[in-house]
Amino acid sequence: MKKFILMGEKDIVATALDSMLKGDMAIVLSNDNEEMYSIKVNENIPFGNKIALMDIKKGENIIKYDSVVGECTKDILKGKLVHVHNVRSLRVDIPQSFKNEIIKEMKIEVEV
Amino acid sequence: MEFMGYERPDGTVGIRNKILIISVDECCEGIAKNIAKGFDDVILLTNYYTCMLGGNEETLNQMIEVGKNPNVAGCLVIAMGCGSILPELVADPIKEIGKKVFCMTSIKNGGTRKTIEQGKEYIKELIEYAETFNRKKVSIDKLIVGVKCGGSDTSSGIASNPSVGNMADKIVDLGGTVIGGELMELLGCEDELIKRTKNDKVSEKIVSLIKNEEIRWSVDGLEIETMSIGNSVGGLTTLEEKSMGALHKMGSKTIMDVLQVNKEFVDKPIEPGFYLSETTMLCGGSAVNFAAFGAQVIVWTTGGAGFNNSLIPVIRVSGNEDLINDDIDIDASGIMKGVEGVSSVGDKIVKKVIDVANGVHTNIEGYGESSMTLYQKDQRVEKLLNLKCIK
Repeated sequence: MKKFILMGEKDIVATALDSMLKGDMAIVLSNDNEEMYSIKVNENIPFGNKIALMDIKKGENIIKYDSVVGECTKDILKGKLVHVHNVRSLRVDIPQSFKNEIIKEMKIEVEV
Repeated sequence: MEFMGYERPDGTVGIRNKILIISVDECCEGIAKNIAKGFDDVILLTNYYTCMLGGNEETLNQMIEVGKNPNVAGCLVIAMGCGSILPELVADPIKEIGKKVFCMTSIKNGGTRKTIEQGKEYIKELIEYAETFNRKKVSIDKLIVGVKCGGSDTSSGIASNPSVGNMADKIVDLGGTVIGGELMELLGCEDELIKRTKNDKVSEKIVSLIKNEEIRWSVDGLEIETMSIGNSVGGLTTLEEKSMGALHKMGSKTIMDVLQVNKEFVDKPIEPGFYLSETTMLCGGSAVNFAAFGAQVIVWTTGGAGFNNSLIPVIRVSGNEDLINDDIDIDASGIMKGVEGVSSVGDKIVKKVIDVANGVHTNIEGYGESSMTLYQKDQRVEKLLNLKCIK
């Protein structure tokens, strides 16, 4: 089965170790490679990208490595891709034109 | 733990025995290239910014400190002769620590052809001098390892950075020194880093020097790329996320100090241990920063790129199975597949560092190197943003 890996115990996102397609069921591994639980993938998530392990509301912090790595800018449903289209940096954010390029290059579906 | 190195007159120990031609201005680089032609182990450091001194003291300081690096046996310092960076300004401090240094300007030497001819004579003498050094057994407390990432992707945060961090801890435990840098890529990691300091002065340095980088790189209204689009396509969403992954390569040992490089001074590690530094996140310039701090070798994590430097060997570590090719010295992809642990890869890197210190070539040593970029902070911008070093 395809796998995600969790980098910290408090994380609300996990990183794809395989390329995920919408509808896939995948295993979430702990940082020590232990199988924890399975999750349904609700959007294509390329290798190395992150899945929401729970519903995340606009304004909430994104936790990875047990640390705040950004802020949610648009509600994210469990199983969806967490990336530049719904998260911003709290320090030095990526300029919008670069975000647009990333979204285009990765073919991320952005709801208007 | 010991390694076999070249002991220099000032007590530092090189792991390579290079002759360095320093062109203090870009106009004499052609002369330098011609002088070096036909010789092995003769490498170039060129100041491409300017021939003026005022405002470029950080570059001057780095040229001096790179000349002092223990991987350099001796130097030839040249200038066109019409600029204000006199070659003696670079040569004299290098001579002071006991190295053999020659120095000349093209104008005083009768022009380009004669300077090349004379330069080749000097190089022959420097090579003879370099050959008087033989490798001898020295303690690992003479070894300084720089750690740096580049071409980062998701595998960096999961595999190569943690295994390099593991290596860093082990080198420090053995009695060596490790230097990390890229303060811009430690944004958001301040709390984690402060936990690793022993005194407030170092904590203050960490916070203010990272803040300086944040200010330098986030000017409203400018579309400045602080992490590459490729980083994001690979899965990195914010700089804080990239930072947390990057932090893993810094290990877990006490942070002794933050080494600064600026227009007034270049710090050096004063005792073995782990240090942070102002080494730039830009790879070419980072190698020169590391060399200026006295590092003899760099361990560099990547997806699959082949960064290399002519003065201080670069050991490349990748965990990305799809991109690994024969540029990569250490394969950390077993961690991604769940078949090898971080500590096991860390052991392999420690062994590789010692082998390379003993003279074993890295996978692409001598094949292709980045230029020795002299990166400096723009003094006009520093003044406008009111950024200061910490004394």
